[in-house]
Amino acid sequence: MSRLLSVLIAAGLACGLLASSGGAMAGSAELKVVFVNPGKTGEVYWDMVSGTMKAAGRKLNMNVEVLVAERNFRTMQELGLSVVARADKPDFLILSNEESAAVPVLEAAEAAGIKTLFLSNTLIGADAARLGPPRAKLKMWLGDITTDLQTAGTRMANALIDAARSEKWQSPDGRIHILGIGGDEITPASIARNAGLDLAVAAAPDVVVDRMLFANWTQSEAEQVTANYLGWAVRKGIRPAGVWAGNDPMALGAIKAAVAAGLEPGKDLQIVGLNWSEDALREIKAGRMLLTDGGHFLLGGWSMVLLRDYADGCDFGAVSPHVQVKTSAITRDNLASVDTLIKTRAFDQINFARFRAKAGACGQYDFSIAALIASMSPNGVRASNE
Amino acid sequence: MTQDDATTGSAPPARTAAVAPRSVIRSMIWATVPALLLVQLLASAGIEVSSFLSQMRQLDARIARAAESRAHLIAEPLWKLRYAQVTNVLGEILHDEAISAAIVYDDTGAVVARVPAQSATSGTAVVSRPIDYSNGNITVQAGRIAIAYSYGAIYAETGKALARLFVAGLLATLVTLLAMRISANAFIGKPLAAMMSAIQRSKRDGRAYQADISSTNEFGQLAQAFNAMQHTTSDALEQLRHLAWHDPLTGLPNRRSLTERLAILGRTARTHDALISFCFIDLDDFKGINDTFGHDAGDRFLVHIAGVLRGAVDENDWVARLGGDEFVVIRPDVADEQAAHAFAARLLEAISEPIRLHDKQVVPRASIGLAVRRADDPELSHLPALADIALYHAKSKAPGTIAVLNEELQRDYRRRRELELAIPAGFAACEFEVWYQSQVDLDTSEVIGLEALIRWRHPDLGVISPAEFLPLIERSGNASRLTNYVLTDACHALNRLAAAGRPEIRIAINLPPSELADQSFADHMQETCDRLGVAPSSLELEITEGSLINNIASASETLRRLRAMGATIALDDFGTGYSSLAHLRRFPLDKVKIDKAFISDIPDSAEDKAIVGVIASLAGTLDLTLVAEGIERAEQAQAMTEMSVRYGQGYFYQRPQPLDAVLKLLADGRAVAGGTSRVLAVSPSLVPELWVPEPAE
Repeated sequence: MSRLLSVLIAAGLACGLLASSGGAMAGSAELKVVFVNPGKTGEVYWDMVSGTMKAAGRKLNMNVEVLVAERNFRTMQELGLSVVARADKPDFLILSNEESAAVPVLEAAEAAGIKTLFLSNTLIGADAARLGPPRAKLKMWLGDITTDLQTAGTRMANALIDAARSEKWQSPDGRIHILGIGGDEITPASIARNAGLDLAVAAAPDVVVDRMLFANWTQSEAEQVTANYLGWAVRKGIRPAGVWAGNDPMALGAIKAAVAAGLEPGKDLQIVGLNWSEDALREIKAGRMLLTDGGHFLLGGWSMVLLRDYADGCDFGAVSPHVQVKTSAITRDNLASVDTLIKTRAFDQINFARFRAKAGACGQYDFSIAALIASMSPNGVRASNE
Repeated sequence: MTQDDATTGSAPPARTAAVAPRSVIRSMIWATVPALLLVQLLASAGIEVSSFLSQMRQLDARIARAAESRAHLIAEPLWKLRYAQVTNVLGEILHDEAISAAIVYDDTGAVVARVPAQSATSGTAVVSRPIDYSNGNITVQAGRIAIAYSYGAIYAETGKALARLFVAGLLATLVTLLAMRISANAFIGKPLAAMMSAIQRSKRDGRAYQADISSTNEFGQLAQAFNAMQHTTSDALEQLRHLAWHDPLTGLPNRRSLTERLAILGRTARTHDALISFCFIDLDDFKGINDTFGHDAGDRFLVHIAGVLRGAVDENDWVARLGGDEFVVIRPDVADEQAAHAFAARLLEAISEPIRLHDKQVVPRASIGLAVRRADDPELSHLPALADIALYHAKSKAPGTIAVLNEELQRDYRRRRELELAIPAGFAACEFEVWYQSQVDLDTSEVIGLEALIRWRHPDLGVISPAEFLPLIERSGNASRLTNYVLTDACHALNRLAAAGRPEIRIAINLPPSELADQSFADHMQETCDRLGVAPSSLELEITEGSLINNIASASETLRRLRAMGATIALDDFGTGYSSLAHLRRFPLDKVKIDKAFISDIPDSAEDKAIVGVIASLAGTLDLTLVAEGIERAEQAQAMTEMSVRYGQGYFYQRPQPLDAVLKLLADGRAVAGGTSRVLAVSPSLVPELWVPEPAE
């Protein structure tokens, strides 16, 4: 009952806000959205994606149903296909094409006439070639919203390199030696980040990545490989300057390994991660981690913005069916602004309606951290907390 | 005895038969089996060693490949510092049992992974390979892998294989050995043993046994050849046996058979009191047949006699030839002595059937000594000797007759044996004495010579007649000794005569036939004369016609030499034997002594006077000196003188006396002076002269 009550209050608030900002939403019908979440319950990133998606839905009069695949692609396909087969079909289906497992669901949705948006992972390779661009062969496939993780990777690497240069952490060979820890070698999300690292290092001739290691996104493996790397580096006569980790858990593992090796992260070497995880924020605060890039869990909310606009006739496809959102780094400098948001997951603080496209500028969005910080209202938080 | 024979006789052959072939087989086995085993072991060991080396090379290669493949698998995790994964991948290598340990070093040389965790590189060999990591962008040496491995498994496997080979080799050798033994026994040992057994049995029984071998291989052929040889041997043995037991000339059983026959005679007799008749047959004058017709004819003569005897006996009778002209016929069952005598008479009659030799008709004659004894007589085996006693009697007393053994004959025989055995002792004890009898010039009654006469004064039997003991002396081979004895005595006598002033008196000694035939006698006489300082011309040697005839050639030579030495040769007993006028002319004689048989009836017998007259006339013509023997009366001496017989000898003048008595007579100057001054000797009435079988009186 209290849940229903809070939804009603939130809807009322949203209507009030939207009315004040132009009223494009006024009178719009509620949209039914189903999101097949590939992640596990409790998996920070995907939980946060669902969270922002729901928070945005509440702001934008969209009923968001989240089905969790629990990291099982078979389950994910079954969930997607069951949604497609429903008599009461949703207006939009949001899939994440992890491991290209969502393709059958995409095709089924096409057949069922359900509009589909890919989130975070889109068609790649042979599938992309076979099925063509959105809205061509597959009319119902509206497009995709993804994060520009390559840029994130480059930004992380550059931050690491800059820190090392300023601290003069060159090895006896005069070069800055860093360790790269990737999540895997096959997912587009990982490939993009790694490519960002490569890009940055390619542009810095005084930097060498001793190893590009893959730790399956997990802290423990990252800790292991980091420990091995640090031991190797000592034997090799290398002074390790930093660790580039493809996500925060791996960065945390690297921190533990460094500490275990008698190093003091932040003073003897720098470690960067990605994901805006709470633990990472704590480490940044403690000075043991240089930065965590990310914010892409907001794709959930941003996708709602796109679909609301689309449903209301402002098609994001006017610019491109491929919407790529840039991430942002949280350092000690801007930590305070987002710290609470992330820690409390009070995504209702965010006024997603503010991010809708302006009339006549369909497809143009500002999803920057500055815009985010500006959009957050303590009142809103309070209201939602009531 | 038979049992004993069987055991002692068969044991050595059995041992030989068992040992000899086995030793051949054992030698074969010793020669082949160790070589076989050695070759087998060497060959299999060689194969195993080469296999061992090849396995080692293969292991080296395999480990090297394992190292390379592991290096390939490990490269990425090693490069990516996934040491646990490196350890896992490395650990799989331990599935290879040859690998004792493996170590991965990173590019700093640090040990990154080690399996087993606590391992030391205890293996005998180590392979090390670089671990190269490469992706699209880089190729680096991420480290090294070192694998320690051991040849232990190969050693163990090879050891086991060698042990198996050794056992297999031993088994094979054992089987070969068994097979060799069995086959060698079957193919070699058995045939050899069969042949050995045949040989041993043949040796034992003296018969040629066949070896029972049926195989057709070389040993079968050998056995066939052996059997063929045995067959031949069998025939030869049969022949030998026959020869051993039979006289080859006549085919009759021989002396050996007789011995055998005598042994079984008692056993095979019908009853223990059956009378066995034993005829000892000796052909009379077989020597004459041989001399006259030659030995071939003599042989034919013997064969004829054998045939006659065979034809004359029943099938139960048994005929044998003992050798020379001696035959034996045994009739195992006669009714009585008369029947035996009648049977012997039939044999004599059959023998005397005339035969033709060289177109001349010859009437064989024989004497038979017959002995009859009961089958249970313990002296059965002495039958030949007993019959021989009878035969001796027949031959000496009445040739061509049958003498039946009786007590008297046996007594005679025993006396003869006794005397014969006493002869050596007689010599040793000087029981033989030489007496002398004068030869006188009938005209002047002067003693012109002495005849030496032997006497035997036996301590128990008294004086033995020369007629009795001289044949025994001759038969016992003592004639030469006796002659020397007499010769030596005569030489001493001559010396004494010379010392007594009568050197012109000669002494005559009787020369027995055997001495006449002995060509060394002349040398011996010369030596004796030289030794005793006597001129051979003082000696006169009296011989008989019989001794001349038996040894014409050698006798002539001896006589010639004696005469050349100066001795005088006298022909004794002329007129009783052959009285061959040819002999008088043919032999170098100086003197002829007319036998006393012609003298004793003179002057009463006109015939004797005529004969003596003719002899005297002949002697005169041939320039031979005549001596009349046995003059006992003055008329006889007178008659001789009238018939121009110059010399005489006899009791009328002097009986034989010891030398001392003779010397005494001579010293008295009138040894003989007709009947008045005649000296009567003390000797017994029996005074025979030497070599005259009959008594002198």
